Amino acid sequence: MTPVESKVDALSSPEFNVKLFVENPAGVDLEELIPVFHRWIREELLEDELPIDVAGYARVPKGPGVVIVCDHAHYYFDERAGRPGLRYRGRRVARGEGEEGITRAFRSLLRAAALLEKEPALGGRYRFRTDQVEFGINDRLRAPSDAQTLAAVRPALESAVKALYGKPAKSMALASGPREPFMVSIETGTSPSVEALLGQLAAVAG
Amino acid sequence: MTGGAMKGTWATELRDRIPEVLGREIDIFETQMDLRSRGDVDEKLFAETRLRRGVYGQRYDNGHRYDGERTRHLEYREHPTKGVDTMWDAPGMVRIKVPYGALTREQMDVLAALAEDYSDGISHVTTRQDIQLHFVHIEDTPDLMRRLAAVGITTREACGNSVRNVTACPLAGVCKTEAFDVSPYADALMKFLLGHPDVQDFGRKFKPALSGCAHEACGLVNMHDLGLIAKTRTENGKVLRGFAFYVGGGLGAIPHPAQLVDEFVTEEELFPLTQAVCRVFARLGEKANRGRARIKFLVAKLGIEEFRRLVIEERAKLPHDPRWTSYLVDVAAYKETPARAPGGLVTNGGQSAGFRAWHKTNVRAQRQDGYAVVTVKLPLGDITSDQMRSLADIAGEFTGDNVRLTVEQNIVLRWVSEADLPRLHAALEAVDLGQAGAETIADLTSCPGTDTCKLGIASSRGLTAELSKRVQELDLASEEALQGLRIKASGCFNSCGQHHIADLGFYGISRKKGNRLVPHFQVVLGGKWTENGGSFGLATLAIPSKNIPEVVRRVTGRFVKEREPDESFTDFIGRLGKAEVKNFLQDLTAVPAYEEDPSYYSDWGDPRVYTMDDYGEGECAGEIVPRVEFGLQASEREVFEAQLFLDAGDLPKAQDMAYRAMLTAAKALVQTEFLDIRDDANDILREFRTRFHETKRFHDKFAGPKFANYLFAAQEAGADGGRPDQVRQRVQEAQLFIEAAYACYEKMGTWGAPA
Repeated sequence: MTPVESKVDALSSPEFNVKLFVENPAGVDLEELIPVFHRWIREELLEDELPIDVAGYARVPKGPGVVIVCDHAHYYFDERAGRPGLRYRGRRVARGEGEEGITRAFRSLLRAAALLEKEPALGGRYRFRTDQVEFGINDRLRAPSDAQTLAAVRPALESAVKALYGKPAKSMALASGPREPFMVSIETGTSPSVEALLGQLAAVAG
Repeated sequence: MTGGAMKGTWATELRDRIPEVLGREIDIFETQMDLRSRGDVDEKLFAETRLRRGVYGQRYDNGHRYDGERTRHLEYREHPTKGVDTMWDAPGMVRIKVPYGALTREQMDVLAALAEDYSDGISHVTTRQDIQLHFVHIEDTPDLMRRLAAVGITTREACGNSVRNVTACPLAGVCKTEAFDVSPYADALMKFLLGHPDVQDFGRKFKPALSGCAHEACGLVNMHDLGLIAKTRTENGKVLRGFAFYVGGGLGAIPHPAQLVDEFVTEEELFPLTQAVCRVFARLGEKANRGRARIKFLVAKLGIEEFRRLVIEERAKLPHDPRWTSYLVDVAAYKETPARAPGGLVTNGGQSAGFRAWHKTNVRAQRQDGYAVVTVKLPLGDITSDQMRSLADIAGEFTGDNVRLTVEQNIVLRWVSEADLPRLHAALEAVDLGQAGAETIADLTSCPGTDTCKLGIASSRGLTAELSKRVQELDLASEEALQGLRIKASGCFNSCGQHHIADLGFYGISRKKGNRLVPHFQVVLGGKWTENGGSFGLATLAIPSKNIPEVVRRVTGRFVKEREPDESFTDFIGRLGKAEVKNFLQDLTAVPAYEEDPSYYSDWGDPRVYTMDDYGEGECAGEIVPRVEFGLQASEREVFEAQLFLDAGDLPKAQDMAYRAMLTAAKALVQTEFLDIRDDANDILREFRTRFHETKRFHDKFAGPKFANYLFAAQEAGADGGRPDQVRQRVQEAQLFIEAAYACYEKMGTWGAPA
């Protein structure tokens, strides 16, 4: 039986992901994040999520790092390409399409980043730079890593970044090879604090 | 296909690349998922169906998780379960069978993509040459399977009570000590057994393994349900190929060494004898008590002589199958092609210390001059998708498609020109895959344990990650006497980490101190890795998890200090004896009070206070589902599809599918008595008429032969086009026929025996 064909495109994928990089990569210790993430689950600190478990991959170089696996999202503190940072990845159910979905992904990421910056056990050693952001879609069917996907995604992404930062992004470029998941590197041209960006999101929503 | 353009589905995108049989199987599984989601399939039946497609449960999928202070309910959406006490929305594990561990570059690329798209970016190499992806949601599994099928991989029968992956020595074909290359035999055996009717009624799983020789470890034949060691024999001046044929080996809680059935089974007799073994196991193996349902228990119960007699008797009764020998054409044609010409390593002293260390432990000369096998050491079997893609590229440049997974959770590249070794090492280093120490004490093995396994008792991965660090810090691998030792850990007694055949083996257990639980490991010393997992270690005593690194330090230290010249670790432990080992380690059994040192009450890599609350019911054993129930389920799915065709206005297909559904149900009943019924409509009808209709066993109490007559009428009508109302009636009759088949089956005893 051939399944009914669905007509979908990149911006309807639930698999949006966004990553912020840490200011001080040398200060990262993945193993110290494991108890922190377990406590976040216990204290229900991740809004709108159903966390399931923490997966630790500190032994794997430049890997997924430490992951909070949730029902509809994964939160990675990953070291992909040797660049540690916090990544939000949507799963299964799209939380809005296009710009709305992108903005929601940013909001989820920024909330988690703010938690980490304020985490008492880490003593303020984890701070995030916001002048560079990665946006990706882990969905090779709807969003292959190519210029056409970037062209399709760009308007919504530009609009979401402009709303968040208050001005257009300085640049957006395809950062993934053809066999990799679609990924865009965004230079924002400015580096407001995580809290300021959350404030901006609240203001836009309000 | 472009990002901005509208997309179809993986089914449509890959339509031309998926072999028809695999595509059909996946479509069927998707339909079964649909039926289960409507509650139209029993949860146990669906669970075993899912397992036989490689879709496995994972920790916390019962909807509960201990958070360190209390057990919480995970509030998944309301939905039918996907097995007993198994939430539909809970992520699970997918096991991908990789027969004899052989991978192509294209397959590696797809595995990398699947790990990113459906899992968490990690592919995990298992101790049976599989790949496991964790945190996968069931709704993603049909597409995951399609993407695998498009590159020739199936997950079918990767779990459940079925024939699991056929494993083989990763050096097969390039090894200096083998009798001959077992690779094409492993490939053919996998194809022969996959979906074979005689392997559908097992009470438990069945694991085959092949080895090229008796004395190395590679095939681990001694611990397999079916173990085959390549041998040759010369008769009348002709060299014959065959296998020493073993059955009944296994680890688990009670390890059993494999028993020799026949010291030389010719290649022509290999498949029929295997088939006979499967039939005897299916017929006489334990079904009710899963803990004693592996074939090792049957062999032990009957004795090898009686088991052998039954197998020979069964062999004599088997209807001939041309596949028993037709595969030999493929064996003769099997050939691997190196990417590069052979060469010699230029040893001019200019190589780095890192290269030299790597060369010493990770490179092995092939039987073929000028070529080497390189082992890529993975940390506990984990590889990222970025690394997997890079490794595919590296293989492309240096070796071609000659890549294999190993039972020590590594990857080997075969057919590397020795002249290329320095460049290859540099390429591997660049992607963090050039670590030395493969197949040494620094190369630890572990099952997933409490990280993801429902049956895990202690954190075997946490422990082995910690031991890896300690071995490194103590530089144990530089000590000649220790270098070749193996450390392996399992999260529980089921031995997925193969601790019984390690020099230093550990398996997870729990012990109580006061009113608190403390994670422990049972220490198993002196198992033999060589000689195909030649002997099992000595269980000594239970040690708190946090003291295991000290066990390793002490035991290895004493071995270095006290061993006699050329004494093996196995012999050393044997000489010390259990009493002395216990005496030597006894002080490490002490657990301080929680208030004194709470770290003992958490496991390695998991800071939560230790608990057994997350321990769940494992799915390793699968669900015991008689084959007749699978047949009846298939008929239900077919009638469901007939209805879909009808709804879509495709009357000929609806009519045909309704007839097929009845035939499938009839065949399922016939097979309870006549296993070898052919998949031929006339044969099925004849046997059904004789066995069930004429004997009135299929008759309904009130309607008499009415339902059986639906089948006969459908057969007489054939494919002649019917009006919509006639086809609709045919579909309804098929549904009623299937219900009558279920009623008939219920009147029979379990396992098809007459009531």
